[in-house]
Formats: sequence, C-alpha cells, structure tokens
Amino acid sequence: MSERPPPMVEPRDRARIYDQGFRRYHGTRTGVGGAVRSLVKHSIRQSLGIGRSARYKLVPLPIIFMAFVPAIGLIALAALIPVGTEDFLPTYAEYYALVVAALYLFAGLVCPELLCNDRRTGMLGVYLASPLDRPRYLLGKALSVMLLLLVVTLGPPFLTLIAFTLQNEGPDGFGQWITVFLRILASSAVVGAIYGAVGLAISASTDRRVVATAAILSVIPGSAIVTDILVNDGGFPPVLRLANVMFLPRALVHRIHAESGGWPLGENPTWTLWSAFFGWLVLSSGWIWYSYRDLVVRR
Amino acid sequence: MPDSIPTAERPRTEARKHPDGGGLVRAESLVKRYGSVPVLDDVSFTINEGITGLLGANGAGKTTVLGLILGLHRPNGGRLDVLGRDPWRAGPEVRARVGYAPEHHTLPPDLRAAEFVRHVAELHGIPPEEAKTRSSDALWLVELGEERFRPMGTMSTGQRQRVKLAQAIAHDPEFVLLDEPTDGLDPTQREVMLELIRSLHHEFGMNIVLSSHLIDEVERVCDRVVIIGGGRTMAEGTVAELRGTAAETVTAEIDADPEQMTALVTALQTSGLSARADGRRLALLVDEGSDAAVGTALDLLRDRCIEQNLGVIRLGRRRLTLEDVFLEHLR
Repeated sequence: MSERPPPMVEPRDRARIYDQGFRRYHGTRTGVGGAVRSLVKHSIRQSLGIGRSARYKLVPLPIIFMAFVPAIGLIALAALIPVGTEDFLPTYAEYYALVVAALYLFAGLVCPELLCNDRRTGMLGVYLASPLDRPRYLLGKALSVMLLLLVVTLGPPFLTLIAFTLQNEGPDGFGQWITVFLRILASSAVVGAIYGAVGLAISASTDRRVVATAAILSVIPGSAIVTDILVNDGGFPPVLRLANVMFLPRALVHRIHAESGGWPLGENPTWTLWSAFFGWLVLSSGWIWYSYRDLVVRR
Repeated sequence: MPDSIPTAERPRTEARKHPDGGGLVRAESLVKRYGSVPVLDDVSFTINEGITGLLGANGAGKTTVLGLILGLHRPNGGRLDVLGRDPWRAGPEVRARVGYAPEHHTLPPDLRAAEFVRHVAELHGIPPEEAKTRSSDALWLVELGEERFRPMGTMSTGQRQRVKLAQAIAHDPEFVLLDEPTDGLDPTQREVMLELIRSLHHEFGMNIVLSSHLIDEVERVCDRVVIIGGGRTMAEGTVAELRGTAAETVTAEIDADPEQMTALVTALQTSGLSARADGRRLALLVDEGSDAAVGTALDLLRDRCIEQNLGVIRLGRRRLTLEDVFLEHLR
C-alpha cells in the first residue's frame, strides 16, 4: 500500500487570523519626541512632494537639481583639466555665490509650504490637538526647514569635497579634510539658518502661500538693493549693509573658510557680521512667536 | 503571530476606565473669558464612561469646553481635571490620550486619507509601522477601506467626516471628542455616522463626548447629557433623568382670553399641578406619567374649566423629550 501524500493545506488547528481589524493598542508610545519626529518627517515629505501627485514635485526637484549643477560641473572640470591648473576653480566659500539663486528660491518655496498650508487647511488645529504645543510645533517646522535647506546648502559642496578627494585634489591629510568638512557644515548651517528664519518669519505673517513666496523672493534680494542704494547713494553709514540678508551669509561663509572676500560686506569686522546674523535670527524668531502666540486656531 | 480569537467570538471590549475610578473629565465652576467677553461662567459637569452629549445652541461655548479639555485654553477660574491631570499644565500628556475630531471640514486636499490618519496616529505616539496598520484598520472601520488612498480633496463631506472620526480613534485614545460630527451630512449619511459612533462604544468600549446642537441625535446616541447655555451648565444627567423617569405633558387649547388663562393657571397650580400657559395653549407637567396620574390631572383641568366657564378646544398627552427639557431650561 502506498504512503498517503502530504496534506495540501495546513491542519485546521494551526489556522490563524492574520487581520484582526481595529483593536486596542497596548504597545509603547513614542511621546512628544515621536510627535516632533513625525511632524518633521511629514513636513519634509510634503515639501518635496513625496506621496503627492507629480505636479507637487515639479518645483522642488528642479531647484535642488539647480543647486547641484555647479557642483557636478566643477567635478567634471577638475577631472578634465591637467593637475596644477585648477586655480581658476572656485573655492568652497565662493561656491555659495554660484547657487545663491537656488538657495533663496528653495527657501521661498519651502517655508510657505510648511507654515501657510497648515493654517489654511486646518492642519494647525489638528497638530495643536495632539501632544504638540505651539513652541514644539514651531520647533518641528524650523527643524524641517533647516533639514530641507541643508539639502541645497550642504549637499553640493559636500559632494564636491568627496569628488575632489577621490580625484586626489582634496585637502591634504585627514586633519585638513576634517577641517574643510566642518567649515562646509558650519557654512551650510549659517546659510540655511538665516534664509530659513527670514522665510519662516514672512510665512508666519500670511495664510496665502503665493503671497509669502512672493514676499520672500522680494525681501531677500530687496534687502541687497535697498541697502546698496542707501549706502552708496544716500550717504548712510556702511554698517547699514549688515541688513543685507542676501549677502550677509555669504560674507560669513568667507570668514568661516578663513578667506578674504564676501562682497559687499567684506570690509565689515567679523564680530559685526556675527552680531547681524544673530540679530536676524532673534528678530525672525521673535516675529514668528509673536504671530503664533495668540493666533486663533480654527477648530 | 499571537494566537487569535475568531472575530465572531471576540468578546465585547470593556469600556476604558479612569485609573482612579472617577470620571474621565471633572469640571468645577469653570470660567473662561476671551478678553472681556465671557464665554463660560460657572460651568460644572462630570463626564464618565459611555457616550456623553455636550448639548447647547450655536455659540453656547461647546467648542471652548472641548478646547479647555484638550488644554488649549487656560481657564480664568474654576477647576478642570481630565484623566486625573490638569490639562493646562499637562497638555501634551492629556492630548496624547484623547482623540479629537474638529468641526471644520477643511483638511489638506492633496493628502491621502491613509497618510493623514497615519500621521495623526504617529503624532499621538503610535510607532510608524503600527500607525500604518492602525490607520488602515480605522479607515476600514469607518467604511472607507476602499477609499483610503484617495486624496481628501476628492472626498464628499460625509467621507471627510468619517476620515476625521478615523484619525480621532486610530491611536486608541482613552476617550474621543467629536465636535458636530454630523454637520453637513444628509439624513442617510447622518444615520450611518450615528450608528458608527454607537458601535465605537458598544463594540470597542470607546468613551465618547459628542458635542452637538442637534437634540434628537444626542437623545438617540448618548447615555448622558450635559446642557450648556448662557455660559452655565443648565442641566446634567442621563437622558432619562433629564426627561423625568416617566414624565408626560398634558397639552390643551382653551377658549379663554389672557386674563382667564392666568386665572386658570393659578387655579391649577393651587391644585398642585405644574401648569404653564402660552397664549391659549396650556401645558401640564405630570411627573409620574402613569395613566392614573394623567387621569387625575385631566379631572382637575376639567373641574377648573367648569368652575371658570371655559371651553376646551383640544386635549392631548405626550411624553417629554430632551427638546422639551432643553427649551424649558432656555426659558
């Protein structure tokens, strides 16, 4: 007599229900830290159009690409030209001058997307009914903006550093390499912080995303034009140039990399540049908090 | 995979209990002003397990009460205790354990329902992977399983109301605050929503606070009711307690002028009846709604009408509704 074939299905006593449907949750909870992390993750996805239809990706992705184009060009040039003739390539500090348009365009896109939308769509009410309170909500949004701006402020120069290093044209020795890397990191943080702070402050003043974007794209270059006219033609003291939010971070980047330059603020002492930088941060943060402190939230 | 109980045999979930056995929410003499405008003035109530209706006219301060429960506003006076904590001081801890469905219908139009519910669950402390599963489960529960990947801007008002309900329950809160959950729904959608709310308590043991100005839906769904009006608590208790255990009203239309009506009401009150006149219409409240008690009231009415030579045009009797109680308190 032949052996019985093995059963085609598992015995009934081993059957299991894999989908129990809605039920109680007894696991651990992530607390306020988890709420901030979720807010940051969601904000970044929202800004980059991840999980949204293609039209939401049409603007941010080309801007990011725009910021990387000079870096890719520099890497290609460095690979093609003979060793020893690369002096005409821009320094790390000079790199920011090549991508300044992409930087403030990105700030003009990201900041209104993150703040204005939440007020218009009622998400702010949803957030404030969660463990997030107003300071933590604003902290999460500031972190999101900073991380997003780091994509365009840190990404390209860091890519350049890596590529130059691989092409044997990077800094000499590990210590020097770390120094350059830390300078790139600090420069990126300074540029991201000031554009992010100003962008968020303007976005905190209106519910309309388009208005906020237009205001950011006007105020940042507008500060350069107005201060230039006032100092050059109006006879105002050169210290007024510190209000030039477009070129202030660039001047600071030159100081961080211990390089001369940073027009048109190159003549200002370093301490005045840092004072102006922190002044902008304090002023912007104060305005954001003032706008949100007593904001009536729709519920 | 843990051993599972087949769905059909799953026991009914016990209602969530307050850790110290007290009410979920206790308010004592709450006062809230916006600037110099008083919104709440001496509001006291207790919310226990079950479905509690927060009833009041538009602008009565219901949403303010919900905001105080969530710790979003600081009370100007009185004491509020939510899950054993002061919500103003321990707002994040309290809000992590409370679900909230706001009144407004605007939600991010380009966001998919599943992503929205998942995000809100994560905000309330559910780890990302678990939040993903629970958002799907919650959306299936509110009958939006097939629609869960649709952007919310393409959904009807009824569907958006259900998304709001799903995000309020996905993180398994101790209790849920629903602010006007049937607002903007047609009668069929409204019925579905009320049935969902009922089943959330009866099948999943979820405690619910239903804020509404619609008396009939509060009466149909809620175990207990808190009525707010004029910045004060007007009444509080079970629906039966508020109606009176078996209270009935005898209504009559009398052929009488205002002076005669006043005299008739006085005579009836002297006879021990609770009587009220509105023009030629008369209402007698019979606390004990037995046939005998109603019969006695009718006999007294007949006798007083004969004494004053008044004709009765119409007579009727009806059981008190929550609407009668509400209107009575508004007078």
